[in-house]
Amino acid sequence: MLDVGRHPNIELMAYSQVERVEGQSGDFSVTVRRKARYVEEDKCTGCGACAEKCPTKVSDTFNEGLGTRRAIYSYFAQGIPSTHTIDPEYCRQLNGKKCGVCKKTCQADAINFDQEDRVVELQVGAIIAATGYEVFDPSCIPEYQYKEIANVVTAVEFERLLSASGPTGGHLDRPADLAIEAEIEALEKKAQKSQRVLDKFEKKYGEASPKFYEKYQKDEFEDDEDLKKWADKYDAHMGIAGPLDSLKKKAEGFGVAKRLAFIQCVGSRDFRFYPFCSSYCCMHSIKEAIIAQEHESETTSTIFGMDIRAVGKGFEEYKIRGGNQSGITYVRGRVAEITQGPDDNPVVWYEDTCQRRVRNQEFDMVILATACAPSNGIKELAQVLGIEINEFGFLKTDPSQPLDTTRAGIFTCGCAYGPMDIPESIVQASGAAARAAQILSDFQMRKAS
Amino acid sequence: MNKDILVIGGGIAGIQSSLDLAEMGYKVYMVERLPSIGGKMAQLDKTFPTNDCAI
Ligand SMILES: Cc1cc2nc3c(=O)[nH]c(=O)nc-3n(C[C@H](O)[C@H](O)[C@H](O)COP(=O)(O)OP(=O)(O)OC[C@H]3O[C@@H](n4cnc5c(N)ncnc54)[C@H](O)[C@@H]3O)c2cc1C
Ligand code: SF4
Repeated sequence: MLDVGRHPNIELMAYSQVERVEGQSGDFSVTVRRKARYVEEDKCTGCGACAEKCPTKVSDTFNEGLGTRRAIYSYFAQGIPSTHTIDPEYCRQLNGKKCGVCKKTCQADAINFDQEDRVVELQVGAIIAATGYEVFDPSCIPEYQYKEIANVVTAVEFERLLSASGPTGGHLDRPADLAIEAEIEALEKKAQKSQRVLDKFEKKYGEASPKFYEKYQKDEFEDDEDLKKWADKYDAHMGIAGPLDSLKKKAEGFGVAKRLAFIQCVGSRDFRFYPFCSSYCCMHSIKEAIIAQEHESETTSTIFGMDIRAVGKGFEEYKIRGGNQSGITYVRGRVAEITQGPDDNPVVWYEDTCQRRVRNQEFDMVILATACAPSNGIKELAQVLGIEINEFGFLKTDPSQPLDTTRAGIFTCGCAYGPMDIPESIVQASGAAARAAQILSDFQMRKAS
Repeated sequence: MNKDILVIGGGIAGIQSSLDLAEMGYKVYMVERLPSIGGKMAQLDKTFPTNDCAI
C-alpha cells in the first residue's frame, strides 16, 4: 500500500469515482470526479489533531459499525493517503451549525469548508476494473437472526474484533456486552450530571438528598417550589441509578467469548441467494478460529459446514492443524436456525448428518461466513465502462480470455471477476497488468499504425 | 494511442496491477472510491494460510 502512495509512476486518486469513459482501446478519455474532502490534500499531514477535537461521533464503517469515529476522520490508522476527510452528512459546520473546531485545531491550515468536487479528464490507453466485492448482508436470512441476536456477527466483524487495532484492541468482547457497557457509560454520565444538581441542593439546605426525600414523602414541608424541584431531581436521579446498578451487576459477569460457532455458506451455495461457492470462507473461518485460540488458549470452536473446501497449497494441512492444535471441531451439517439463549448466548440448531441427529448447542458467539457478493455500484460502473456483467453480477469475461471484459482494452482481476482469495487476486492482477501492457506495447502500436 | 493506464479500485488486486505496470514504466492513475486504498484486505487481522499480518 505504501509503495502505491510513493511510486513516481502512480497517481493516486482516492475518494474519487469514474463518471464517463469514451473512445476505444488504446485511446480512452475518462472523466473522474474527485469528491471534496473539505481538507486540502497537499496541506494535511495526517496528524489527527482535528479528529481528537471533533465533537461529532459517527459509526465507524471501517470497523463495521462496532466502534465510532469522528465526523473528520482518516479511514483507518495506516490508510494511504493519510489525508483526513470530513463526512458532509454529519459535520456540524457543513450542516449549518456553529462548530469549526477542526479548523481552529489544524496547524497546517488544511481545513477548507468551501472546497468543491473537482472533475478531471484523463487520457489512457487501457483500463483495469479491480472493484472487488461486497460482504453479503445476512439480515435477509430470517432463521439466522443477524441483527436480532447481538452475538451473531459476520466474519468481517469478527476480523475487526480480533484485530489489535480494532474497536476492542483484539479482545473478543461480545457485541451484546459492548452495548451494555456503552449504556452504562451513557447512564453514568447522566448520573454524574444529576448528582451535581443534587449536590447544589444538599449544600444549600445542609442535608443529604435521601434524608430530605424521606421527609418530603411524609409531607413534612410546606408547599415550596424549590423543594419540589429537589424532590423531582432526586426522583429522576434514582430512576437512573436503579437501572445503572443492575446493569453494572450484570457487567461484572462479562468475559471474553470462548465458545465459538462458525456457520459456513451463509448466502453461498444457497439458491435463494448465490448458487456459487465463495471459495475463501471455509479458510477464513479456520483462520479466525486459530487466531481466537491464540488470543485465549481456552477457546474452542465448532465449524458447521456441508463440507470444508480447503482448496489450495497447504490448505488441507491448515485445516487439520486447526483441528489438532487449535480446538476446532468440524461438524458436517447445515445450520437450520439460531435462537436466543440465556445470557445473550446464541443457540445453534442443526442436523449432525454424520450422527443423523438433530441437535442444539449454546455458544458465546456465532460467526457467519458470508458470501462474496458483487460490489455495490458495479452495474452503474459497468454501464459507464460499456461492459457487461454476468448472471451472478460480476464482470463478464470470456473463458478463453478470462481477464478481458466484453470491451476491448478493458480488463478485470480479483473479486470483481468473482470470488477468490488474496493469492489468486494477486495472480490475476499481474495477469491483467500484463494484458494491458501487451496491448500498449510498442510492437502492438506499430502494428496498429 | 495513449500509453497511460487507469486502474479502478484500490484493493489488493488494483494495488498489484498498478505496481506491476508502474514498474514496467507505465504511468498509472488509480481511482479508489473510499478515502484510503487497501480494500477488504485492510480490514483483515491476519491472512491464511500463513497468518501473516494483512497490512
Ligand atoms: C472475513 C474475510 C476474511 C478473509 N480472509 C482472507 C485471508 O485470510 N486470506 C486470503 O487470501 N483472503 C481472505 N479473504 C478474501 C479477500 O478479502 C479477497 O480475496 C481480497 O480482498 C480481494 O481483493 P480485491 O482487490 O479483488 O477486492 P477488494 O478488497 O474488495 O477491493 C476493491 C476496492 O475497489 C474499490 N471500489 C469498488 N468499487 C469502486 C468503484 N466503482 N470506483 C472506485 N473504486 C471502487 C473498493 O472500495 C475497494 O477498495 C477474506 C475475506 C473475508 C470476507
Ligand atoms: S468456501 Fe466453504 S463456506 Fe464458502 S461457500 Fe464454499 S463451501 Fe461454503
